[in-house]
Amino acid sequence: MKSSKEEVIPVKGLPVSAAYGWSVGELMEKFIKELRNKKILATKCPKCNYTYVPPRLTCGKCFAKMDANNLTELSGKGVLVGYTTAYVELDGNGNFRDLNKPKLIGAIKLDGADSTIFMPLLDVEPEKVKEVLKVGVVWREETKGELADIKGFRPIK
Amino acid sequence: MRGKVAIIGYAQSYHQGNMPMTREDMVFEVAKGAAEMAGITREDLDTVINASNDYLDGRTISELFLVMPMGAYLRDYTKVEMDGAFAMFYGMLKILSGTHDIALIVANTQGSTFNPHQISTYMLDPTFDRQIGVLNDVSMAAIQARMYMNKYSVSEDEVAIVSLKNLGNAAKNPHAHRRMPGITIEEVLNSKLLYDPIRELTMSPISDGACAVVLATEKKARELSDNPVWIEGVGSSQDSYIRNRNLYHLEGLEKAAKRAYQMADIKNQFAELDLAEVSERYAYEELMIYEALGFCEKGKGGTLIDSCATFKDGQLPVNPSGGALSADPITATGLIRVVEAVMQIRGEAGACQLPGVWRALAHGQTGVCAQSNIVYILGGEY
Amino acid sequence: MWRNVAVIGVGQTKHGIRREVNVAEMIGEAAWKAIEDAELAPEEIDAIAIGNMQGFGGICQAELWSGDWFGAPGKPLLRIATGGTTGGSVAQCAIYQVASGMFDVALAIGFEKHSDSKEPGATMGLAHVGLANFFHLLACGLDFKTSLAWGGGVGAAAGVSGYQAANYMHRSGCKIEHLDMVAAKSRSNAAKNEYAHLQWPNCTVDYIANHPRFGEIVAYPLRLGHICPASDGASAIIVAAEERARSAERPAWVRGLASCADEENQMAENAQGVAVTDSSEQIQCKIAATKAYSMAGIKNPREEIDVAEIYQPFPHQELIYSERLQLFDDGKAWIPLEEGETQIDGRLPIDPSGGVLSTNAIGSSAMQRVAECALQIMGKAGQHQVPKDVKNAVAHGWGGSTNFTVVTILGDTPRLRR
Repeated sequence: MKSSKEEVIPVKGLPVSAAYGWSVGELMEKFIKELRNKKILATKCPKCNYTYVPPRLTCGKCFAKMDANNLTELSGKGVLVGYTTAYVELDGNGNFRDLNKPKLIGAIKLDGADSTIFMPLLDVEPEKVKEVLKVGVVWREETKGELADIKGFRPIK
Repeated sequence: MRGKVAIIGYAQSYHQGNMPMTREDMVFEVAKGAAEMAGITREDLDTVINASNDYLDGRTISELFLVMPMGAYLRDYTKVEMDGAFAMFYGMLKILSGTHDIALIVANTQGSTFNPHQISTYMLDPTFDRQIGVLNDVSMAAIQARMYMNKYSVSEDEVAIVSLKNLGNAAKNPHAHRRMPGITIEEVLNSKLLYDPIRELTMSPISDGACAVVLATEKKARELSDNPVWIEGVGSSQDSYIRNRNLYHLEGLEKAAKRAYQMADIKNQFAELDLAEVSERYAYEELMIYEALGFCEKGKGGTLIDSCATFKDGQLPVNPSGGALSADPITATGLIRVVEAVMQIRGEAGACQLPGVWRALAHGQTGVCAQSNIVYILGGEY
Repeated sequence: MWRNVAVIGVGQTKHGIRREVNVAEMIGEAAWKAIEDAELAPEEIDAIAIGNMQGFGGICQAELWSGDWFGAPGKPLLRIATGGTTGGSVAQCAIYQVASGMFDVALAIGFEKHSDSKEPGATMGLAHVGLANFFHLLACGLDFKTSLAWGGGVGAAAGVSGYQAANYMHRSGCKIEHLDMVAAKSRSNAAKNEYAHLQWPNCTVDYIANHPRFGEIVAYPLRLGHICPASDGASAIIVAAEERARSAERPAWVRGLASCADEENQMAENAQGVAVTDSSEQIQCKIAATKAYSMAGIKNPREEIDVAEIYQPFPHQELIYSERLQLFDDGKAWIPLEEGETQIDGRLPIDPSGGVLSTNAIGSSAMQRVAECALQIMGKAGQHQVPKDVKNAVAHGWGGSTNFTVVTILGDTPRLRR
């Protein structure tokens, strides 16, 4: 039987997809539920004061343990520390597709927190983004206690 | 260190975008090649360590069907599911423990299986970042690049020069995937913009490739090899996740490098290192790597590339092989850097060969924005 | 030249369905329990080894995101994965980290959160072992049924274990009743283990064999009651060098360790065929066991080993591996089982913890075998502590399509005497 080293038999992806539902833990659940009330929760480390958003149980800086007693509320205002303009997005199947209109992504340090969060940046043109200093949350019209309640952040005075 | 460990054999594939070869054949070639160069047979192997990733390979237990091609049949065996440079570290630990004399490290990824950038989204916090859906390793790199460039006034041109240098260097490297002789700054700056400022030519390509090294104790190395390359120092460190780490500096890499320098007693990088092979998934990353490795002060990466000191004919050449920008078969990339450094030290780097290379640094990374890093100091025989 | 190392701390989470914590918190739980058990400050950990099977939890390299929860930032960390025996390989990594002389104290963590997958019983993770091969065969023109058969039923562990049990029963005196006995023993023992998942106190052979649901044969000869659960859980050990270990009350010294890989059983690369025709033979387990015993200076395992923690997600594997680990004669392990030797209060207790049959968080399960042996030597196994002096214990793990084996021998005295 002749073996052909050149022949490549393509297998075009497998017709199966896997679905996951990650449990988020109690502190994260509180965080998500409080979005309904337009509140952003964080945990402040009792030992070194590093403040995490979203909240969590262990401090990665000093290893101290935290719990619901260390929860604190943030104003939802912050500083834009970084950004990028996206001209493509991933389609979930491993392909980059071009965006009709570029989207902005912002790296935000919320007032009162030390973590950086990465969120859509709204209501600003890509050319103007470098002038943006302060940002604030853009809430969904009807908040339901889901992560999607935060639509993104927009420049504020 | 208790005893010395040497690299006595190596092999790498001809990295390309869609290798017309099965994973098994690709792995077999490098495993066999490294063993042959080391002058050993499969029976001489005390332990075999693989570096591959279930998600990248689209298979649970990615190494399951690679047992035979890797030479692991009836051998002590394990898999380090990180960059191959970390797998080599584990091989070193096994040898130093005194229970194994010879180790074979095999790293492989066929990026063409499934887009590694899509897979990078699976590395994100599934309870938050992954749900928000704006991040992947490219958009996160873009954010870090812009933060770094704005803070230290590094221009896009300076970043593009890294691509110019590395893709130009790769032109002489027969193993490289992306070789662009005569490439110009304009070509780099006009390449497709994905997430500003990351362009197609300022980020690594998606490659298929494999790489293998043979490690040995001092005794075995002297028996088997005329040209062993010694691991004089190693250091590694995992940094915090993107939300809670300093994005202006590669602090984890700095820690890893300090540990390696201390072990190898390196005090002056420019004087004591002849070259460095680093894993720069993005052109801007190489500038941040310079700073973390102590090649220049914080914020001066742009100045360093401008000075041409890291070009092939400069004082401290970085990536004469073309680096990750020329070939990035993810889990093999860091081990390829080790191999390229070894080739230079042994005088076997062909058209890429630099004169008088005796001591080199090799770097591997894993995780978004180089979250976990490992640094080696490699040295030749006197 | 070997450097004496010992396990000085063990931590486990309750294994079961843990929807109230996310995976990072679960890992942290086990890690901190081990650190506290070893009476260490987190700063004293020099290196970390961690592992799980990515496909089950849906996160790629989960330790990168969750590192903050278990003290990883700034530390050298290695991620290890070897199928079912991941936890055992992770434990060995920590042992080598310290034995190499490069680190003095290492933390090893194995974990899995099956409940994060919406597919039932770890299906997706298991199916992906051979799915690519299966579709490759279809693309080559092979029909569905043949492709499925060649692909070993596609489900790695589960698919191959059925074949393995049938092979084993054919060549030994083992009958389905013996599988019922092992299952009953495991579930009863698990009831004495506060961290185990399926705890069925005083479980009888009759319950397993005649239960309307659990007695049903799923894939001959395996009943539903013979199959391990898919658990959430994490387990951790602290390994320390001699100088540090001596300050612990009763360290569990590492006396021997080895691993070995055979060709895949049943399944083959690109349908090239496989030389392993009897997956109950387990050559690589014999090799690993011989190496580990030799390192440990154990010449007569069946006399010198006091307790064995064998990786048995399916009951016939307790029998097969007890033979390959040289504890009983080939094909005869059913005899000591019948005679009660392997009960928790028997001459040679096997899986007093309840074993993998009762608790299976994949990345954690082989780590638990090492952890449980350590607990038995340290005298800290609580209600499932075996009522005898434990001088030597063997921890075993298998992975892949039953072709990876990891064996670790722990003892109450160090390997090298001063």
